[in-house]
Amino acid sequence: MLSVAGATRRFGSKVALAGVDLAIKAGEIFALIGHNGAGKTTLVRAISGRIRLDSGSIRILGRDVHADASARSLFGLVPQSIALYDHLTARENLDVLGRLSGVPARDIPTVVDQALKLMALTERADDRTADLSGGMQRRLNIAAGILHHPRLLLLDEPTVGVDLMAREGIHDLLRELRRDGLAILLTTHDLDQAEELADRVGIISNGRILAEGEAESLVRSVFGEAKELIMTFAREPEARGLEFLEHAGLTRVEGGAAWTGRLNGGFAEVSELGGQAAQAGLTVDEVRVREPGLRGVFFHLTGGDLQP
Amino acid sequence: MSRAIFHVMLLRLLRDRGALAMSFVVPAVFFLIFASIFAATSGENFRPRLALADEANSEWSRRVTALLRDSSDLVLMEEVLSDQDVRRLVRRGTADVGLVIRAPDQPVDGITAEPRAPFTVVSDPSRGVATGVLTGQVQRAYARMSMETVTGRGPLVEEENVAGESAGLNNIAYSAGAVAVLFLLLSAVHGAVTLFEERETGVLERIVTGPGTTVVLVNGKFLYLVVQGFVQVWVIFLVAWVVHGVDVPGHWLQWTVTTLAAAGAAAGLALAITTAFTTRQQAQTFANIAVLILSALGGSMVPRFLMPRVLQEVGWVTPNAWALEAYTSIFWRDEATTALLLPVGLLVAAAILGLAVAQRLTRRLVSL
Repeated sequence: MLSVAGATRRFGSKVALAGVDLAIKAGEIFALIGHNGAGKTTLVRAISGRIRLDSGSIRILGRDVHADASARSLFGLVPQSIALYDHLTARENLDVLGRLSGVPARDIPTVVDQALKLMALTERADDRTADLSGGMQRRLNIAAGILHHPRLLLLDEPTVGVDLMAREGIHDLLRELRRDGLAILLTTHDLDQAEELADRVGIISNGRILAEGEAESLVRSVFGEAKELIMTFAREPEARGLEFLEHAGLTRVEGGAAWTGRLNGGFAEVSELGGQAAQAGLTVDEVRVREPGLRGVFFHLTGGDLQP
Repeated sequence: MSRAIFHVMLLRLLRDRGALAMSFVVPAVFFLIFASIFAATSGENFRPRLALADEANSEWSRRVTALLRDSSDLVLMEEVLSDQDVRRLVRRGTADVGLVIRAPDQPVDGITAEPRAPFTVVSDPSRGVATGVLTGQVQRAYARMSMETVTGRGPLVEEENVAGESAGLNNIAYSAGAVAVLFLLLSAVHGAVTLFEERETGVLERIVTGPGTTVVLVNGKFLYLVVQGFVQVWVIFLVAWVVHGVDVPGHWLQWTVTTLAAAGAAAGLALAITTAFTTRQQAQTFANIAVLILSALGGSMVPRFLMPRVLQEVGWVTPNAWALEAYTSIFWRDEATTALLLPVGLLVAAAILGLAVAQRLTRRLVSL
């Protein structure tokens, strides 16, 4: 469905995309995770035809999005912000945005009704958008992106600012769209969301995809059978402490007091590490051992965390 | 697709009562106020109040007083006054101008031999127009008396109107046009800055990534602003017709063409100015200042014919001046339709140029 090959883009001296390769199939949700400035937005903008690549290609169903303007009708974009007219009703918004998406005028009433039904917004169709709840606005935002029946949906942080219930509703909706055969590329800071929702995950940093695949296999490739160990110390480690931490394979969580690494053994290894830390002059505040997840993978690959 | 944008803009206006009033009621009220002030200070309705002291109290001075009282260009205050009273009233502003008729030592027909003028005009320079009107009326009265004495004939001066049948409404028609263009520009700027709302909410991004382009967006807004401007000007001239009797129905075709061209120029200009900036605040601030300057130079605030010659020439760079040229050609000078070709042509050219610039600059807005 979507094929990105060797996508490169510079802004002055800054490399925003450094040869990104990516492929998404129909009926698949692909989550792209990365820090701010990692290249997510540039990649989405390039896919949506808003910026040109310095080199490489982006094709949707084999059609180059930059060379073939008609390829634009193959994807729908759902921006992070609520990209709707708040003085219009839900129905009017879909009517207007449907026309702007190229839906023929005669099909608009049917398409709008279908979208409202799919989003469970039929009863609120004639309410002004400004009067809808945050979750409803998010659903309407997504509805506006699929009116022209795209084959690929580009979603930027689709659940920012919504409560848990609304978030679940949006997840169900995205799963339903996936069942209908839509390919979905979503960018997110929410690692739990990526893990829960995506069929495959891509981790992007400094314009490169560092790893991509199913969340579980990514975790296995980084941790194997090991657990994730997180240690927090009372004070900033000194030279001897730093030497120990390096030797133990622990690295600092970006901007925090925690250090993390792989734990291959059981509690005996934790106890042994605690003892060695004390000998190195470190006062251990807290030790946590957990099943590794995407958060740990992300940290180990990029050297930083997305969320505290 | 541009119709969809038109529809969005229309609903935005219809659902905002404040904006609706600002667009159609305020301009009409503003016009009524402006028209009455303008007509009272610069046109045939301006009748200075005259304080008069007749120190001569002779037959000829009473005749002069009677002629001034009969004049339709002055309002004679009836009190019997001393010259000191006259000066006090003019200084206070109770009277616009004063006149002291002195007792001559010789009869009126020998006035040239007098060492001192028989009339003293007491003036305040801030009301110089009143001084000019009075001086003219005194000279006219004096000339008439001389003619009566020497030849027994009637008035020396007769008046001929060359401004057409609607001449009495010239100032009203001018002020309708002046207010119309001012509000056309203000409303167009207000509508054009909604581009920034669309960018901030992400609607612009959504539109440009689909088959719609920035051209669709700008064209939709342009179309809406032209229609909104046309209706706005229609309301102002409707009031001018109903309240003041300006003959709009008699010139409906010329008026329609001129108004569409003026609305187009305002829309194009507002969109071009707005899209030249990167933030709403920058655009709004600059555009408002630009509108005020254009309107001041172009004759929407002060009539162009009252401006110094240099400013009148500079004013030709503004759409206000060309729109007013067209409106005065229709309602004031009652000229042939061909007289509209130049002003309307220039307004249409401004509209096309503004639209083209806005279409180009809006693409830049998307990539920022």
